[in-house]
Amino acid sequence: MSVVSVKILLFATLRSKYKTRELAVECDGTLLNMIENASKILGLEFIDDVYDRKEGKVRDDMIIMVNGRNIKDLKREITLKDNDVVAVFPPLAGG
Amino acid sequence: MPRGYMGKILRVNLNTKSLKVEPTSEEVARKYLGGKGYAVYLLYKYLKEYEKAGISPKDMDALGSENVLIFATGPGTGVPGFPSSGRYHVMALKSPLTGSIGSANSGGEFGPFLKFSGFDAVVVEGASETPVYLAIVNGEAELRDAGSLWGKNVFDTCRILRNRVNGKNISVACIGPAGENLAYMAGIVNDEHRAAGRTGLGAVMGSKKLKAIVVSGEEKPPVAKPKEFAEVSKRCLDALKTNAVTGVGLPIYGTAILINIINTAGGLPYKNWQTGVNPDAEKISGETLAEKYLTSQRSCWGCPIGCGRVTSVKSGPFQILASEGPEYESVWALGGSTAIKDLDAVVKANHYCDELGLDSISMGSTIAAAMELNERGYIPQEDLQGLDLRFGNAAALVEAVWRTAYKVGFGKYLALGSKRLCEIYGHPELSMSVKGLEMPAYDPRAMKGMGLNYATSNRGGCHVTGYTVSPEILGIPEKIDPLKAEGKAVWVKIFQDFTCVVNSTVNCLFTTFALGMKDYAELLSAVTGWDLTEDEILKIGERIYNLERVIINKYGYDGKDDTLPKRLLEEPMPEGPAKGHITELEKMREEYYKLRGWINGVPTKEKLVELEIEL
Ligand code: SF4
Repeated sequence: MSVVSVKILLFATLRSKYKTRELAVECDGTLLNMIENASKILGLEFIDDVYDRKEGKVRDDMIIMVNGRNIKDLKREITLKDNDVVAVFPPLAGG
Repeated sequence: MPRGYMGKILRVNLNTKSLKVEPTSEEVARKYLGGKGYAVYLLYKYLKEYEKAGISPKDMDALGSENVLIFATGPGTGVPGFPSSGRYHVMALKSPLTGSIGSANSGGEFGPFLKFSGFDAVVVEGASETPVYLAIVNGEAELRDAGSLWGKNVFDTCRILRNRVNGKNISVACIGPAGENLAYMAGIVNDEHRAAGRTGLGAVMGSKKLKAIVVSGEEKPPVAKPKEFAEVSKRCLDALKTNAVTGVGLPIYGTAILINIINTAGGLPYKNWQTGVNPDAEKISGETLAEKYLTSQRSCWGCPIGCGRVTSVKSGPFQILASEGPEYESVWALGGSTAIKDLDAVVKANHYCDELGLDSISMGSTIAAAMELNERGYIPQEDLQGLDLRFGNAAALVEAVWRTAYKVGFGKYLALGSKRLCEIYGHPELSMSVKGLEMPAYDPRAMKGMGLNYATSNRGGCHVTGYTVSPEILGIPEKIDPLKAEGKAVWVKIFQDFTCVVNSTVNCLFTTFALGMKDYAELLSAVTGWDLTEDEILKIGERIYNLERVIINKYGYDGKDDTLPKRLLEEPMPEGPAKGHITELEKMREEYYKLRGWINGVPTKEKLVELEIEL
């Protein structure tokens, strides 16, 4: 499987918790592998912050956008490509 | 009178300086709740009377003595334990900015304290010849001379009037110089930094020479079923505290946390909506605001969320020792649409909007429109009188706010709002407004439901009439695709109707990120003693929205006005995740009218009968 390099952006409480605004991660193109590899940099807690191990998928309350499109709207298996930007937001709102 | 209400409405006539106390009508309250709904009902009655007297609604002058201004609370307002019920709604027959109905909502303490002073609402008719203010203390109301207050800014007016009243729970709602000078985007500001900003109601107050209303009192609204209320109140307050959005996100970051996510979705209007991607969004984001400017948070009365920001700019040309905000919409209007990346300047400009009494959304958007007009060479330089209105010019932003409030130099033109400004300079298409009201911070090419909501909103380009950003971007209560037009009409209709319920309760719309219609039905039932179901409250909301529509139809607004600026209908989004998209309004609007039972933006007779609206 080919290796792709993506940029992860963290926002709001995730940014303040991990004291990181963005990081570059290499992965096999799946979100899970991206999250695992990000956790090698950020710490293991990151996995549980964004991933639901029981359900085997990204946590439902997290807002994850690949190149600005929410993965829930893409309605397909996500395959990341080189230089994709993955924005990770905790639940938030305003108005 | 059912519980939850104070049972009295104060009617003030500024022509005759007379004050009249009337009972709050149970029949009206049962059909229209309170707040916005009750006010819409009263405004419609005025309009009918005017018509009978031969005054055409279309010819009514928003700044004439015939306009009527209503400050209204609802059965939830000020009830201890009713979540986030520190709000009130203001309405006017006509807005000077839009020519449509005037409508705005504000937090702080004024709403509950108006009730504690003994009244559910204050209705202001006529106009005074000299400046006055209204004092309501423990059920006693009095008009007093405001000669020495005229010319004073909002902060000074609040401070002085608070000191003049000897009582508990004092709150002041007032206008600043912008309202006195009849700037069309002047707002009403209460408790220093909370504004009923939209649709120029500050100018209506200014035209009536009503500088302020100060309220104080200790009478608490009664609750019909205290035991049931305590249970449902606890459940709702717990939900607000444990919900990730209302319990964590909003308290820590405030509303400006939206800057980055809306920008990531490609829907943060930049340079007067030329695109939806702001390359400098991070610099004006909620994260940056929290890191560099935030000193503490402030809650409105009775609110466990506390989204209000207390901020300061520590040094530099825009230094400011203590301010509040800016909110997401203000950051965007003053900083995003204008392409200003210096958050110091945005905080300062926002502070001046509060101090001078201006709606930050319309102010920022009008400045952005002027910047585009200027950069395209449409404004003769002598008109600008040295005001260097170019995108990104922070100093010009702050200066423009001042000039607008005092209507000096180019401020005279800015004070008219973007619609008239762009018409004057021959390019009406550059005003990013609907029905004359500047739209807030969401480009509908990147979230199409918002386009339908803006277009069909009775008060004009408004986000909080039906906030479909919630499902489209935030995934609350469920995620829907922002780039699809299909299925949006039903969301817009339900959100618009339910928002009428919230604005008539009156409590904060932000509760709806955690509470649903069932919670509202139970809260309202326990407070009033009525047995309200979810369907019933939604029908009340629909009734309010339709009666409001009947009013604006009388002003000549119909389907032709339920539209958007050309840019959003015809210019594809140039970049970002929504690249290539336009709003696809027509498709959604057709479905929406069907759902509403409207033809060309006008409710059918059958619809009005079904909603038991008596004309
Ligand atoms: S959520 Fe914010 S705006 Fe709403 S009542 Fe609470 S503090 Fe006020």
